[in-house]
Amino acid sequence: MIERLLESARGNVDAADALWRREEQTAVAFESGRLKAAGISEEAGLNLRVLAKGRMGVAGTTAAKPDVRELIARARASAELGEIVELAFPNPSSQLLPPVATFFDRTANASLSELIRMGRLLVERLARPDCQINVAVQREVADTAVGNTAGARGEYRATGIAVTADITRIAGDDVLMIYDQYVGADMPSDADLEKLVHSVESRLTAALRVVAPPDGALPVVFTPAGLAAVVLPLEQALSGKTVLQGSSPLAGKVGETIFDDRLSILDDPLTPGRPMSRPVDDECVPSRCTGLVERGTVGRFVYDLETAARAKTQSTGNGRRGVFGKPQIGYTNLVFRMVDGGRDDAAGRTSDLGGGLIGDIDDGLIVDDLIGVGQGNVISGAFSHPVGLAYRVQRGEITGRVKDAAVAGNAYELLKKIGGVGNDGRWLGARWSPSLLLEGISVASR
Amino acid sequence: MKDRLAQAVTQSRADYTEIRVERTWSSVVAFRGRRLETATVSEDQGGFVRVLNKGYGWGIASFTSLDELPTMVTRAHELSRAVRLDEPIRLAETAPQVADGVLDLDGDVRGISLGDKKKLLDRYNTAMLAVSDVIVDTQASYRDEVSEVWYANSEGTSTYQLCPEVVVSGTAIGRRDGSIEKGLESIGLRKGWNSVQDLENAFRVVATRAVDLVDAPRVRGGAYPVILDNELAGVFIHEAFGHLSEADFVYENPQAREMMTLGRRFGKPVLNVGDNGAAAGLRGTLPYDDEGTPTQDTQLIKEGILVGRLHSRETAAKLGERPTGNARAISFRHPPIVRMTNTYIAPGQKGVGFNELISDIKLGVYACGAFGGQTMLENFSFTAGWGYMIRDGKVAELVKDVVLAGNLFQTLDRIEHIAGDFTWNQMGGGCGKGGQFPLPVTEGAPHVRIEEALIGGDV
Repeated sequence: MIERLLESARGNVDAADALWRREEQTAVAFESGRLKAAGISEEAGLNLRVLAKGRMGVAGTTAAKPDVRELIARARASAELGEIVELAFPNPSSQLLPPVATFFDRTANASLSELIRMGRLLVERLARPDCQINVAVQREVADTAVGNTAGARGEYRATGIAVTADITRIAGDDVLMIYDQYVGADMPSDADLEKLVHSVESRLTAALRVVAPPDGALPVVFTPAGLAAVVLPLEQALSGKTVLQGSSPLAGKVGETIFDDRLSILDDPLTPGRPMSRPVDDECVPSRCTGLVERGTVGRFVYDLETAARAKTQSTGNGRRGVFGKPQIGYTNLVFRMVDGGRDDAAGRTSDLGGGLIGDIDDGLIVDDLIGVGQGNVISGAFSHPVGLAYRVQRGEITGRVKDAAVAGNAYELLKKIGGVGNDGRWLGARWSPSLLLEGISVASR
Repeated sequence: MKDRLAQAVTQSRADYTEIRVERTWSSVVAFRGRRLETATVSEDQGGFVRVLNKGYGWGIASFTSLDELPTMVTRAHELSRAVRLDEPIRLAETAPQVADGVLDLDGDVRGISLGDKKKLLDRYNTAMLAVSDVIVDTQASYRDEVSEVWYANSEGTSTYQLCPEVVVSGTAIGRRDGSIEKGLESIGLRKGWNSVQDLENAFRVVATRAVDLVDAPRVRGGAYPVILDNELAGVFIHEAFGHLSEADFVYENPQAREMMTLGRRFGKPVLNVGDNGAAAGLRGTLPYDDEGTPTQDTQLIKEGILVGRLHSRETAAKLGERPTGNARAISFRHPPIVRMTNTYIAPGQKGVGFNELISDIKLGVYACGAFGGQTMLENFSFTAGWGYMIRDGKVAELVKDVVLAGNLFQTLDRIEHIAGDFTWNQMGGGCGKGGQFPLPVTEGAPHVRIEEALIGGDV
């Protein structure tokens, strides 16, 4: 499909690149502990970008038999209004695609009954009186082909499996919700599923008792899930796009040490077995690992081709495109690697709540989930959210769950000095991190 | 297309079969700063099949290749047969609908050139950029669509819907040194080209606000009496209460049912809440939901008492209630689930305005606009776009980072004053649930006063 499209585009426009992707999924859903639904989905789409008279345009289609001429005409019409971009598509000589494991037969061939078996195992292991449990299991196979008129090509198959469990417990007017997931390219082992069970169980058990929230500037352990509010501003600020637009607080700070010198952040598309891993990005740029923050020092920002061209730098292989839009900057796997935690097996040796960081806390919180993350003025680094799931720590012990409290702080201030690094590093979707102990978080209760 | 659907439904071996086919024509124009990001026209199309067999669960298939429709009906049937159920899934009775729901296109966006759409958005974007050199960045976007949806089920329903939608949004980023703030404008309507003209002033206003916020202090955290403006009050009722009224939350959960027993008092007699999928011209408006049930105005809270909830056919059957036309899917890629449409707090007493609400507040917060909201059922958060302190009954200084955290039951019960100045918020964006985002919804409310609410921030 790509060949035919690029062949037709050649001569019609100055240059073009395209992405074709076909995805098929199987999913089963357990609702309130009962298997309720099984489904499949099949989708294919084609995205074309052209440069015509120096201007860029895009068009996409999900039609089963794409009309190549119509697609090119639509992309040209888009380009007539587009900006002039000095974009050079990667050529084949720059193309040594790194090997990375993205496809696992076991996932590709997983039968419906295997998905049902895993779901049922979780339901049985997590069943509790007065708790409602929902479990979803979804496997996916995606074929991707990218190419451009300079002759570069990339092709790979990827698998993905997601197992999610959520528990709701209502007692009177108290609503407790606990969620966790396994996401990977390879099927989870039974040990992986047990880890998921343990993670949900330990948070559920500690949450049964509700205690009064504390007040004031306190030490807070952010679990890998709870860290979302703290890392989101960094994710935005490290994008070459926000840097180019002048809205990134990190613009102009490359080489400056502004975080705790144990903190490194990587974008790593080459981690084997992760669903966001890939040998090549959606613009034919070979994948590679990018050091965004290295030992507290701002390293490199992430770029796609267009943003890199405008910023007079190179793409970092972070181009991501869907069927309809133009390519945009997107992270692959974001890894928060802490020097004294390390991204090794030791780091993930526990799934205990708090990651071994609570022993020295006299009064503080463990934050596992905040409500409304991403809805404030994220890029400034300031956040303020009510807790979705949080626990009080007193004299080194978890004493119960707190409600009706809000936490606030500024990510840039907080990450200057990290109080402690947990031994519970794990993947959560496309992000790997351990728990972090951060000091002086503003906690407001009612 | 209707015949293709009818034929596929007839040939299905399942006890119940429904098919939805969608074709969506859309165009998008976006600016970032002074630069055009994109201007493009797209056509998306695909189908969705869902079947049910006695003693078995749902079998579902979604696909982009419409030639595969008969195959997909067969596969959905096989999937259903793989899901054994002890307690059968029942669907509440609805009268079969055979009708077309064709909404006014209000200036068919398909007939307007992409160039004209670019010019329109350029004007709005320029209006934001021209406000001040403190505005360092903008994002402006125009998106329109005309969607056609064919639906048929094995109970005789066969509908066709033609619906327009248009959303114009702008974000202005103001920056001075380390202080970065934003102003957000968004207009979303189930209407067309005619309804998004002459909006320069709205875009100028948000850019001015972003500039003002740069120098504004952060609100001090704590408990205050809070007045919500119309927009935020709408987001509040959607987040804080609306999601709890979705029956899929309660229908299989005895404890949740107890918590949400009809007849329970949720607020003072001044509080009336509903959801109206049939209101004209709003983004949440549709003639039929994605199970072919006509939409309606559903009262949820009447004079403080819980009187209703939002249903799909499945949840209605389970609870012995009537379907309300709230089974919605964001696209053919998803099954319908219970969702809101246009959710509202009904106006209070006529003639009661903002001044009556504020006059006896010594120290409080006037929270305005909405960056968003999220609920975890009992607890919720919503982020105001900006706010003002209220001092001695008057609006005082501008403050930023106003995030309200709340407990549903306490907060609803603390609403004692509702103004009569109702408006619908016609915003873009949308609601997310169960991996389906963004679903077009609208909220509406008058000014609302909460006697005490928790505001996050430094203490």
